[in-house]
Amino acid sequence: MIEIHGLSFRYAGSDRDALQNIELTVPDGDFLGIIGPSGAGKTTLIHSVCGLVPHRRGGDFYGSVTVDGMDTVDAELTDLARVVGTVLQDVDSQMVAANVDDELRFGLENFGAPKDEIEERIVEALRAAGIEDLRDRVIGSLSGGQKQRVAIAAILALRPKILLLDEPTGELDPAVSEQIFRILREMNERFGMTVIVVEQKIMLLSSYAKTLAVLNDGQLEVAGPVREVLKESRRLEEIGVNCPRVVTLSRHIEDLTSGAIAATVEEAEAMVREVLR
Amino acid sequence: MIEFQNVFLRYGSGAAAVHDLSFTIPDGAFVAVIGANGAGKTTAAKLMRGLLKPTDGQVLIDGTATTALRTSELAKRIGFLFQNPDRQLCKPTVREELAFGLELLSVPGDEIQKRVDAVLEDFHFDPERSPFALSRGERQRLALASLIAVEPKTLILDEPTTGLDYRECMAVLGRVKALHEAGTTVVMVCHDMELVLDFAERVLVFSAGRLLLDGETRKVFRDTETLPKASVLPPQITRLSQRLADVLPPADTVEEMEAAIRERKGAKA
Repeated sequence: MIEIHGLSFRYAGSDRDALQNIELTVPDGDFLGIIGPSGAGKTTLIHSVCGLVPHRRGGDFYGSVTVDGMDTVDAELTDLARVVGTVLQDVDSQMVAANVDDELRFGLENFGAPKDEIEERIVEALRAAGIEDLRDRVIGSLSGGQKQRVAIAAILALRPKILLLDEPTGELDPAVSEQIFRILREMNERFGMTVIVVEQKIMLLSSYAKTLAVLNDGQLEVAGPVREVLKESRRLEEIGVNCPRVVTLSRHIEDLTSGAIAATVEEAEAMVREVLR
Repeated sequence: MIEFQNVFLRYGSGAAAVHDLSFTIPDGAFVAVIGANGAGKTTAAKLMRGLLKPTDGQVLIDGTATTALRTSELAKRIGFLFQNPDRQLCKPTVREELAFGLELLSVPGDEIQKRVDAVLEDFHFDPERSPFALSRGERQRLALASLIAVEPKTLILDEPTTGLDYRECMAVLGRVKALHEAGTTVVMVCHDMELVLDFAERVLVFSAGRLLLDGETRKVFRDTETLPKASVLPPQITRLSQRLADVLPPADTVEEMEAAIRERKGAKA
């Protein structure tokens, strides 16, 4: 479980708070999507969970973040990293090896994984990310989507309880973006991993996340189950968060549906058929 | 006008990145180029701007092959917005950045001043700020503004909304739309099908370096047989409409879908 209480953070040298008085609880097994305009504090929030804030990015930190019982300010980054796996926005910046096999092996060896488990965990992580065929490839020769999956596999091999991802689909096409989210869903549903993902593509979050947190100007604007948050679509649009078109359609015909919100095309189809029945 | 005649391009000795492309983009068009990562979209866009030259075939700009046009001539006619604005920003202040392209094209000093002032007013930039102190969305708008200052006849945008939030994205595309309405030809490589539907009149669909489909935007999105081959998922309302084809007439926008539902509901009542 992650508990964030009264979290405010201001980067050293900045004249404004990146986060202001955030209150948020993420239960084990949640799939949380974080969305909001540029500069809203999304990356700072997940960096507060994995401990990069304040351990590596200094500044004024108020309040508390507790991850699996550890206070992130008191805990060592290495202890946090055993629980929280993080895939950064720029995956190239976290690749350390020349080929895929070494990339996965590096983390496991550094974490002191038992030698006789390493092979099994590499195979399992490659399979989960759907990239068994890339095991011997040179990382520099991979496409953006392939690299993203290698970064995810390297983290999965460490078997963290919590997986954090910062805009994992930024430069990927829609089909590959869906693939990435399907992997995340599988990790969440089959292995009970808590998934927290910062993402601008609200259509993906509406289809895959269980809960949404909307940040605006360092503050938590709204948080809750996906459909509850999407009901606030007018408020979201005011702060510059676009809603899926089927949500806008739901709002346009709310007089016919007693206020139901369809988050996906499949749900919208069922809703319209019900209206026309 | 941009014309591709049986264009092939190979990087080194590898397979062709684009394969036998033939199409024409007339003046004043707004065309989207879509397809999966690695389908050849950016290669085609760079060929249009003369940043790449065909291995076989030719690309003609207003009837002249890009191989016969000087770099400065191409730059005057066609602006190219890179996916990452940092690839085209290089000056210490916004004002200098906006003037830079014009200086390279030897535009007279007083004319540079006039155009830079006009763009500054239009985009509400602080002229003395460093481009690198701006947010990603602002840097993208600045890169676009510096292209606009050159007043090209054609703008090519390579995924102009990557990394931008919705508001920034609308700010960039709102500006592009206004330019198109004033007569500029626009070619936009884009992954967001909702934006393609909202802005483009025509769509070129690429797959594995080939042109798979070329047609009016709404018609292309209704081609359910061909689009999956290019890994393209149509916009949400179009997909919803396809699933409801047994009960409702075709609709592509929220407003059209709402009207269709209400009409059918009214007819039933």
